[in-house]
Amino acid sequence: MQLGPDPSSVRRRLIAASCALLSSSAARGEQGSVTDKIGRMVEDWKIQSALAYYREDGRIQAIEPVISAVRDLSDGGRLTLNFTFDSLSGSSPNGALPNHNPQTFASPSARSLAAARHLYTVAPGRLPVDPNYSDARVAGGVDWTLPLSRLTRLSVGGKFSYEDDFYSATANAGVEHDFNDKNTTVSLSVSSENDFLQPIGGAPTPRSDYALFEKGGHETKRGQGLLLGLTQVMTRNWLSEVNLSLDRFSGYLTDPYKLVSVIDGAGDPVGYVYENRPDSRTRRSVYLENRVGWTRASAGLALRYMTDTWGIHSDTAQLRLRWWNAGRDQYFEPSVRWYRQSAADFYRPWIAPNAAQETYLSADSRLAAFHALTYGLKYGIKLTDRLGGFGRGGTEFNVRLEYYQQTIQNGPAAPGALQGLDLYPSLKAVLLQIGFDY
Amino acid sequence: MRRKCILLCEVLVLCSLTVGCSSLGVKPWQRELLSRQDMQPDGNGLDDAIDDHMYFSKEASSGGRSFGGGGCGCN
Amino acid sequence: MAGPCEVLLPATELSSARELGEVAAAEAWRIEKKYSRYRQDSVLAWIHAQQGSTVRLDEETASLIDFAQQCFVISEGLFDITSGILRRAWKFDGSDRLPDVATVQNLLPLIGFDKVRWRNPFLTVPDGMELDLGGIGKEYAVDKAYDQLMARCPAPFLVNFGGDLRASRPLPNGPWKVGIERPDTVQTAAMILEVEYGALATSGDAHRFLLKDGVRFGHVLDPRTGWPVPDAPRSVTVAASSCTEAGLLSTLAMLKGARAQQFLQEQAVRYWLLR
Repeated sequence: MQLGPDPSSVRRRLIAASCALLSSSAARGEQGSVTDKIGRMVEDWKIQSALAYYREDGRIQAIEPVISAVRDLSDGGRLTLNFTFDSLSGSSPNGALPNHNPQTFASPSARSLAAARHLYTVAPGRLPVDPNYSDARVAGGVDWTLPLSRLTRLSVGGKFSYEDDFYSATANAGVEHDFNDKNTTVSLSVSSENDFLQPIGGAPTPRSDYALFEKGGHETKRGQGLLLGLTQVMTRNWLSEVNLSLDRFSGYLTDPYKLVSVIDGAGDPVGYVYENRPDSRTRRSVYLENRVGWTRASAGLALRYMTDTWGIHSDTAQLRLRWWNAGRDQYFEPSVRWYRQSAADFYRPWIAPNAAQETYLSADSRLAAFHALTYGLKYGIKLTDRLGGFGRGGTEFNVRLEYYQQTIQNGPAAPGALQGLDLYPSLKAVLLQIGFDY
Repeated sequence: MRRKCILLCEVLVLCSLTVGCSSLGVKPWQRELLSRQDMQPDGNGLDDAIDDHMYFSKEASSGGRSFGGGGCGCN
Repeated sequence: MAGPCEVLLPATELSSARELGEVAAAEAWRIEKKYSRYRQDSVLAWIHAQQGSTVRLDEETASLIDFAQQCFVISEGLFDITSGILRRAWKFDGSDRLPDVATVQNLLPLIGFDKVRWRNPFLTVPDGMELDLGGIGKEYAVDKAYDQLMARCPAPFLVNFGGDLRASRPLPNGPWKVGIERPDTVQTAAMILEVEYGALATSGDAHRFLLKDGVRFGHVLDPRTGWPVPDAPRSVTVAASSCTEAGLLSTLAMLKGARAQQFLQEQAVRYWLLR
């Protein structure tokens, strides 16, 4: 038995009462359809999708579709889901140095040089790359924010990544608190990552002689992170953010596919060894970002300073500018990023035959000293009124192009015959991305 | 030297957290520009995610803006 | 009214925009002057001055009293325009000074719309009782200003009096973007709603409350008990075709306390509720 008036009649009677009060034609007869259109965007999913094509000059290329969906919940919380797939192919440097003579290597799946079906030969003077590199990866993540009180929010999230030689699962949690009339926000988050590596052909014994094909099975790696953040509204136009982070990685941090050339005094390779990196790495960074906005433009400058226990420190500066046209339905966004890093303590482009004392070594150019520049341009256009009723306020199509160039600092002079070869070629890459936001 | 600079930054940030920035800020009805998507801390959409993945696979640094590192074998 | 009152419209000439703004402002001030409980020259002051004698109301005031009576019936006594005198006992200044029980008890006999004699257009308010249109005045003003502009303004426009708003139709580029300050959400910035047309009204107690022994007393008072409605939500925003309707629904939701969400779901309206 229902006590009180039938619930749906409350609304009907209220509509009738307010119509009688206002006796305006707009209030009559439109109830059903009106409320569908009011504020419908907020509780619906906001979807962003993009397809990125990445291509390095003579090396890797990748296709990566990404999709993300965000929903603001009626309790004031937020749910975010994202999903990525990427497919890579091409040639990947194996860490060895170029040489005047051709060099032959076996792909990671080989268990011996005799039985190897995938031998590849590198032409004289060229950077040794494995031309059969191919990988496919699937990754996704969830993030949920819920309000704990008027000014405090809790976030929990997790993500996973899956490729045939590497599985990763990460969990994170954080708390955020506002004060000063919500002009200041402080946040503290922690994360924990667990990775399981199953290198193709097995994980080689670190620092072992390449020709021995001493390969084992799988390895694991762990990471923990702590992030302290402060966001401050400075003025109507200016938002400032600073983050401090501390990360610690432990376990198998070596790249199982990378080699280091062993070069004698004349400059000839007498062999190769697998690289070996320390089993722990602690990293600290300071990140500063400032954004300023006006009616038809905005600008953002982000700076990051990083240092770690491998002896690597880096500086990053990225500037983004956005300009809208007069109708505010199209924009251009040029950007530039400058990056510099120092080499890891154990970075060795090559070693001498009797360097048995050095336990840790790697010739991976990602651990070398280099600087890099990225130039980017993005264009976006609002589609709301262009597709005849399809699309909401935020519906947008965009396209972005970026050019990335990494210039490795020349290392010590190579012995003998290697002089005259470009041992540290630059990396050049282009990224083309198209996106659709709904 | 570098480590001392980073340490100094960390100390400054922690100090400013305790002292507070109570004189800075705006009233709720002055937030119209700040609420625009390109003015949000995570307002660059998928661009940041795609760029971060690219830089993670080519450089030795990651993260800063959010948690970085890992989730990918591209090391 | 918290925050500025404004009329938004795309117009190419400043003079025509100003003219329309002045029309809306004039209507708002007219209603404020006529129905404010603070002004000596308001209709309410004149009704109270009659000390129990019957008065004959003008058409506009009569329709407002009609509306108030219908809301009283629909809400089963929760929405009651005679409950304003409780402000003599309750001062919501964020402190912990609750009124004593006797003070509130003594006011209860003076509350109850059923004690008012209303036969359109004749109104008899017993001596000592007061009428307070604060619960519907602002939303009514939005709707009346909206009507004034509808008759004069061919362009799309949006009337916004401190968060209670109504839009006539979307802008050429898309819907109106309305920022609603929501204390408890994820973003530090306001929640952005995209409104094509229709009205939004918000009831909330973000700034008016008492806090004692960790219990928060919101300012929405139950006229039957004289005390705050327990477990009232912190804020309720409702979308409807008129601002008056939206305002009533959000007020009724607040009055339902713990059952606010259920009530709004039963009414099948678009709402945003924060606890």
